[in-house]
Amino acid sequence: MQKFLPAFLLCLFSFSSYAQNSDSAWFVNNYTKLENYITMRDGIKLFTSFYIPKDNAEKHPFLLTRTPYSCAPYGEGKFGAIWNSYRMAYAKENYIFVTQDVRGRYMSEGEFVDVRPFNKNKKTNKDIDEASDTYDAIDWMVKNIPGNNSNVGVIGTSYPGFYSTEAALSGHPALKAVSPQAPVTDWFMGDDFHHKGAFFTLDGFSFYAVFGKPHPVPTKDYGKGFTTPVKDNYKFFLQTGAVKNLAAMIGDSIKFWHEMYEHPNYDEWWKVRNARVGLYNIKPAMLWVGGLFDAEDCWGAWNSYKAAEFQSPQSNSKIVMGPWYHGQWSREGSFLGNLRFESNTADYYQKNIEIPFFNYYLKNKGNVDAIAEANIFFTGENNWRKLSKWPAENVEYKVLFMNANHMLSFAKPTQQLSFDEYVSDPSHPVPYTEDVHNHRTREYMTDDQRFASRRTDVITLEMDELKEDITVAGPVIADLVAGISATDADFVVKLIDVFPDDFEYASNITGNGKEYPMGGYQMLVRGEIMRGKFRNSFEKPEAFIPNKPTHVKFELPDVAHTFKKGHRIMIQIQSSWFPLADRNPQKFLDIYKATDNDFQKASIKIYHDTVNQTKFILPVIK
Amino acid sequence: MKKILLIVAVLMGISSYAQLTKDFVKDNYIKIDTTITMRDGVKLYTMIYAPKDVSEKYPFLMERTPYAAGPYGDKNYPNRIGPDTNLLKEKYIFVYQDVRGRYMSEGINLEVTPHIVDKKSKKDVDESSDTYDTVDWLLKNIKNNNGRVGLYGISYPGFYATACLPGAHPAIKAVSPQAPVTDEFMGDDVNHNGAFFLMDNFEFMNYFGKQRTGPVQDYESEVFKLNPKDMYSFFLKLGPVKNTQSEKYFNHQSNIWDEYIQHDSYDDYWKARNIRPHLKNIIIPTLVVGGWFDAEDLFGALNTYSSIEALNKQNNNRLVMGPWTHGAWAGGDWSRFATQEFGSNTSNYFQDSLQTVFFNFYLKDKGQSKIAEATVFETGSNQWKKYDSWPPKNVIPTAYYFNANNKLSLQKGNGADEYISDPARPVPYTNGIWGRRNNEYMAEDQRFAAIRPDVLVYETDILSDDITLSGKIMADLQVSISGTDADFIVKLIDVLPDNEPNIKNPPKGFQMAGYQRLVRAEVMRGKFRNSFEKPEAFEPNKISNVQLSLNDVAHTFKKGHKIMIQVQSSWFPLVDRNPQKFMRIPDANESDFQKATIKIYHDAVNASSIVLPVLNK
Repeated sequence: MQKFLPAFLLCLFSFSSYAQNSDSAWFVNNYTKLENYITMRDGIKLFTSFYIPKDNAEKHPFLLTRTPYSCAPYGEGKFGAIWNSYRMAYAKENYIFVTQDVRGRYMSEGEFVDVRPFNKNKKTNKDIDEASDTYDAIDWMVKNIPGNNSNVGVIGTSYPGFYSTEAALSGHPALKAVSPQAPVTDWFMGDDFHHKGAFFTLDGFSFYAVFGKPHPVPTKDYGKGFTTPVKDNYKFFLQTGAVKNLAAMIGDSIKFWHEMYEHPNYDEWWKVRNARVGLYNIKPAMLWVGGLFDAEDCWGAWNSYKAAEFQSPQSNSKIVMGPWYHGQWSREGSFLGNLRFESNTADYYQKNIEIPFFNYYLKNKGNVDAIAEANIFFTGENNWRKLSKWPAENVEYKVLFMNANHMLSFAKPTQQLSFDEYVSDPSHPVPYTEDVHNHRTREYMTDDQRFASRRTDVITLEMDELKEDITVAGPVIADLVAGISATDADFVVKLIDVFPDDFEYASNITGNGKEYPMGGYQMLVRGEIMRGKFRNSFEKPEAFIPNKPTHVKFELPDVAHTFKKGHRIMIQIQSSWFPLADRNPQKFLDIYKATDNDFQKASIKIYHDTVNQTKFILPVIK
Repeated sequence: MKKILLIVAVLMGISSYAQLTKDFVKDNYIKIDTTITMRDGVKLYTMIYAPKDVSEKYPFLMERTPYAAGPYGDKNYPNRIGPDTNLLKEKYIFVYQDVRGRYMSEGINLEVTPHIVDKKSKKDVDESSDTYDTVDWLLKNIKNNNGRVGLYGISYPGFYATACLPGAHPAIKAVSPQAPVTDEFMGDDVNHNGAFFLMDNFEFMNYFGKQRTGPVQDYESEVFKLNPKDMYSFFLKLGPVKNTQSEKYFNHQSNIWDEYIQHDSYDDYWKARNIRPHLKNIIIPTLVVGGWFDAEDLFGALNTYSSIEALNKQNNNRLVMGPWTHGAWAGGDWSRFATQEFGSNTSNYFQDSLQTVFFNFYLKDKGQSKIAEATVFETGSNQWKKYDSWPPKNVIPTAYYFNANNKLSLQKGNGADEYISDPARPVPYTNGIWGRRNNEYMAEDQRFAAIRPDVLVYETDILSDDITLSGKIMADLQVSISGTDADFIVKLIDVLPDNEPNIKNPPKGFQMAGYQRLVRAEVMRGKFRNSFEKPEAFEPNKISNVQLSLNDVAHTFKKGHKIMIQVQSSWFPLVDRNPQKFMRIPDANESDFQKATIKIYHDAVNASSIVLPVLNK
């Protein structure tokens, strides 16, 4: 997680110098700030800050965010610049804003546990989790803050999205509505630090070097993180080598980093850190929100919603997925990277979905008739679709086969023994994006993939030009038959929309302001990595038998995209995605313990013949 | 060659030209539009701008061009004339002439007109005789001249300037070939060491190759419509070079394109188009000018200079090399380029302190000639250097050997490295998506290439002292290939330190730290390794020696930097793809293109190295 902070926290505002604009003046004149410790059932005190409307004509609901990123600015005289974000709309409705430092973070007491496991059998006051902390916080709030209407909503993005999910499990009767946004859900399977068991070093290292610092006593400041000596992150991670060398760089103080290294497989330690395990018997109305192009927690948004639907079918759970990077729904939503959406999708979401949702459930105001079960923005066609179910009801799973001559088609291959081959060299891994960068880009998830199709270690498969639109709505399955010369390898599959050679956006459509040649653009619609050894089980990795055709089947996070007539569907297959994901040494072992000498080249064959068919299953709307 | 038109057009009116009033030329010069009859009866269209001020006599300063001498008509004045504004204000009789067979001139245009040594009749004409006849006419027909003529020109006009030298009219007293097209097989425009520069020529010949039936002011359309947004994809989809002759493209509508496709070795066609052997006994004062980042005719500038030097020790020949792209010395401000800050306006320096001084001295007896034998801008240290020879005398050719583990060292190493060169996935010459040639590619960050599996990288340790290179570079490779032909591209790169500060206002995410700045690169088509006339197949997997020379540099690798070499087997679509099968490449079909394993040896017996011209300070 790149520490997603809402806009109003990015701009700290000192009370003494307010009134820079009419909204800030209004807010400061109409709200008071209160800071308070709330005592949990086990005696631990959590730091909580309140922005309370002066209006007492009616009673007001709470909007609570629990965060590990601090509820700064601290001090009752210092206001967070709520007026710089769309949350000003809630202020105009006189919501009571509450932010709480979660247990063990910043000014709160207690021990911090990353993605603290949900305890469904709490027996004593010592059995606490994030759900119980939320319960205790809510209980105190409704009883102690004057002028409240006994309705509480919880909202949070990214890690606070995880705390929102956990809040929904608190069972407090005052909690009426929860919106987990880009919720951290499962750090082994698809969010932030691992995808299908492959370690997301780039995000993880930059995040944990500071986030993971110890917290012996409450503090307002964790200090600085680790400054990498090389600003080109491809070069830095390549020259650092095996991931155990990374651990050595930040010493022993980062507890979670070392714990992750101890759990290379999807063992019990990880399973209890899967936020989906608690999603039963959900009471409050739920609004799951995520970004189709969220590099951190796209997976979590889709899969938390799905788990809630499946495990808690009676609950009132809805989903919104827009064409967004991590948290973009609170910012400008007209474009991302080189893509343009033809409308401000964030503004649409705020005004038509989120604000009506909370107003209805917390203030009994308006209605939620316009919020469908699934409110999904389809890129390509640039259109919000309101669906009664996700994946969409009328989806047909169509199989695309890899064929000879780099072709993709609905027809099965007809050749005997046929394959494409590349050499995957850990000393020249395929970059996840073009150009030199210090930080992971947030645009990479819609990047032009032409830089990759030009490499010798990337297989690029393409369909004929589409004669009519094809809309995909749901998960994509990659089912590869691979023969590798070694005992392990990674497989990255990318679903790509190839724009026509003469494609251009009309100049009146809002974009990022940069000229980019869109003709022939290879838009990443979805990419995912699979660590080959987990192909049969995430719990029990298995070595490959060298050169034996082997199925590697895995699911890519859901997509919502229309490939327009005249475009082409493209798939790319490669065996590295660097430095987004760590390199596979291409030798079956515990990669966290690998040394630099373990890394070796491997020849990767992908088969496409009558016996060994490599295929891709697309959820196509009929 | 085309680029120069664009650059001058763009830069005109910016910088120093801005100080001229819009009608300066019209107010101060009289225009004469005329034709001049050559010895064979062919009439060349010529425009003459003579100073209105007749208080003194003036020399002629002439540019002969295939790119239109216009604006045509004696009422139409351009905003500027002459090589720079100083000279315009100095007052010369400026002459522009359409060369034979182009635009408004009669006759037939030949690609880089072959020089005829032994002219037997009036039918034996070349650029030397056309210039001679023109000069003769000018002296006799244009009033108020002082009997002296100077010639200059950039790019193709640079060739026409050079071409007047053998058998020059005695009134020609000063010539400045600038980025002169000199040998289009060996190093200029069309081929480098026999490798075809596909992208530039395909685009250029679409314009330049348009045929005409007689004199025209405007060729109007191009041969075919072309508007690619992504050159790499376009040329990859286009396939083998032979497909350029398809109905959609040249379709044999350009003679010159036909000639390029026909002549794929250093045969008589190309030899006749090499002006260098004819630059004997040149005593006319010459000022040869070139740019270190000139993608078209860097070779021409360096080798025109060195040929005049070699073929007559009594020459009056000088060299100017600056940090310029093709023709940038003729334009406005050139203080920076491709993330490099030069610390001064290098084009002004050239115009004020070299070009103006040169012509004023030799054509007007004005001022003094203090121009050094070689005035060379040294990149890296970013300063002008003056030498009494080029390359400087105190240069020590120093071999840096490829070693294992990507090392470049003064000692020989062991082992070998290999890569697969796949013509279906050639190494791009530049990063990103380009609808035209990236004009900065010769100084571009090579990190995009270093991270490919089909590019070998060798670098020195961090330098403990500055190392200055001045002169030609030789690459000496011991290779084996699984096919029967392959290309070899060798790139010399200056690696900036990991703590290099970023540039001012960098694009988002841009990192100067660790930047791999291209200093010089060259391609060699492997089959020409022993002879450019007689290509030879490789014996698969047998070790062969491939040597290639890279154009001169004047560059300081600063203390704290590293010297890097990259080796690769494609440079696309700058250079056409080698099918990696020994054959006439213009005849290759798609099915002839094959992957090849390329091995570069660097053991004690089969050592690969780069020989750098290290300046002994």
